Amino acid sequence: MNWDNILEFARGPFFQVALFIFIAGMLFRFTRIVLLGWGKDRVKSKGSKIGGVAKTYAKAILILPFLPWVKNTFNRNPIIYIAGGLFHLGLFIVIFLGTAHMLVWKSLIGFGWFTLPLPIVDWFAAVAIVAMLALFINRLVNPVLKLISGPAEWLNLLIVFVPMVTGYMMTHHLLQPYEMLFSWHMLAVDVLLIWIPLSRISHFMFYFFARTIHGAQFGKRGVTP
Amino acid sequence: MQKQGVTRRQFMQMCGVMVGAMGLRVQPPVRESGLPVQMARGFNPITTVAHALQTKPRVPVIWLEFQDCAGCSEALTRSHNPSLVDLVLQYITVEYHETLMAAAGLQAEQNKEDAMKKYAGQYVLVVEGSVPAGIDGNYCTIGGRSALDLLKEAAAGAAAIISTGNCAAFGGIPKAKPNPTDAKGVWEIITDKPVVNIPGCPAIPEATTGTLFNFIVFGKLPELDYLNRPKTYYAQTIHDRCLRRPFYEAGKFAESFDDEGARKGYCLYKLGCKGPTTYNACASIKWSGGLSFPIQSGHPCLGCSEPNFWDGGGFYQGQSAPLDRPTIVTAGAAAAVGVVAGAGIAMANRAQKGRGDKTEPSEGAKS
Repeated sequence: MNWDNILEFARGPFFQVALFIFIAGMLFRFTRIVLLGWGKDRVKSKGSKIGGVAKTYAKAILILPFLPWVKNTFNRNPIIYIAGGLFHLGLFIVIFLGTAHMLVWKSLIGFGWFTLPLPIVDWFAAVAIVAMLALFINRLVNPVLKLISGPAEWLNLLIVFVPMVTGYMMTHHLLQPYEMLFSWHMLAVDVLLIWIPLSRISHFMFYFFARTIHGAQFGKRGVTP
Repeated sequence: MQKQGVTRRQFMQMCGVMVGAMGLRVQPPVRESGLPVQMARGFNPITTVAHALQTKPRVPVIWLEFQDCAGCSEALTRSHNPSLVDLVLQYITVEYHETLMAAAGLQAEQNKEDAMKKYAGQYVLVVEGSVPAGIDGNYCTIGGRSALDLLKEAAAGAAAIISTGNCAAFGGIPKAKPNPTDAKGVWEIITDKPVVNIPGCPAIPEATTGTLFNFIVFGKLPELDYLNRPKTYYAQTIHDRCLRRPFYEAGKFAESFDDEGARKGYCLYKLGCKGPTTYNACASIKWSGGLSFPIQSGHPCLGCSEPNFWDGGGFYQGQSAPLDRPTIVTAGAAAAVGVVAGAGIAMANRAQKGRGDKTEPSEGAKS
């Protein structure tokens, strides 16, 4: 057993199993939520639901990242706000605009797109890693956060952190041979894929539900913030 | 050698080249010795090599071919320095080589047996091609005997074994899925002898001759890595030494084999280059006397010096991509499992809730 075998396993059968569990798990949760049903809403409409949805997304994309002080969360806990924002930004850029990751998407869905040069993606990766460390330390020292953090929260951090660090190390050929870091990266990604449907990282999907439903409700009541 | 018209200058020049090819240190270790520069005297590998070549007896070589294409032998005849002609005429005696020998049939087999007896414990066994272990080794037979049998017999009396090419080293193409003959690399079968792997498809000829030379000069095999490959040739990846590496760093990639990027010599990563995980000397020694190597000529690295390279994902698919793409059926099955399980639980919950609604008032009435 050497790293080539492990890499083959992590890129081959283990990835397939992880992907299977990921798809099945996410659809399981999706179906359950959809089938919870809707309560009958007897309140008279004061505004447009679609308008509310559009406004809430516009706010999330255009206003909150650039004028964060309009939101109370920022004033109360700027570290979480800034680190959280930078972490997500870095993650999106690395996952969708990094060449190596685009090739993964291409192999899965059949088409590719423009990617950013490595040095630029690199900076975002580094920013995301630092932001993640900041969030970890914040969780560690903030008494309230510490109190409400169970094993699942710590595991979330760990399972997201390992692929990021191993990915960064492997693009820079740091400390260990490339195929060993590649193996760790792929194993960690496979574990992450299995973990997502079981954990709150599933917010990558349910975030859009929450925003859409709240936006529609606000729009209907004419209280879109 | 002087009789053959080799001048001293030519001889020393060749020794110098060999020292470089074997990765020996040419400069004396002045700094490490801690002595003043004038006083430091280090080991000079050129004179060591020259002395060894002048004094040591020729090394007998037995070259066996099993499930192979003779491509490694073919490549060896193009070895630049030392050339196969140099080796054969001066430093080694090839006792048996199916592709190159003039003899055939029983005489050839007899000659091999005589050589194995005469040079027992001294000869170098070079193996080309994988060894089939299926149906007692009967997938490959030579002179009525199985490859497995021939290998074990020849290995017993060998001083060292060199597996040249990916087939002999790791099973190569015959080992590719579904591996009908149960092909194996030599080091999986011979475990009690030093086996050095020179993988590649074909193996870089200079790596084979350099390793042979190392044995001639020092009487032992060079330092090996965890896959028994000589560190001199296999310590760095193709990616580490690639002449297109700056384009990789800058994110400039050829998107197809005939686009603008390909013409400008951009990185071939997107076209499936396996350079980052491939340990070999192609990018530094190159081929045909240092003329070029696949990536320089515009083709991505296939990773031919790594185990299982034939099954390591598509040759023209990016290396980061998973090995297999899940089929529509698998993805559909996963989706179906998720939806059915979710719907089932939702229905069960609803049913339970419905029962709860009905029974609740009566429970309340009881209390």
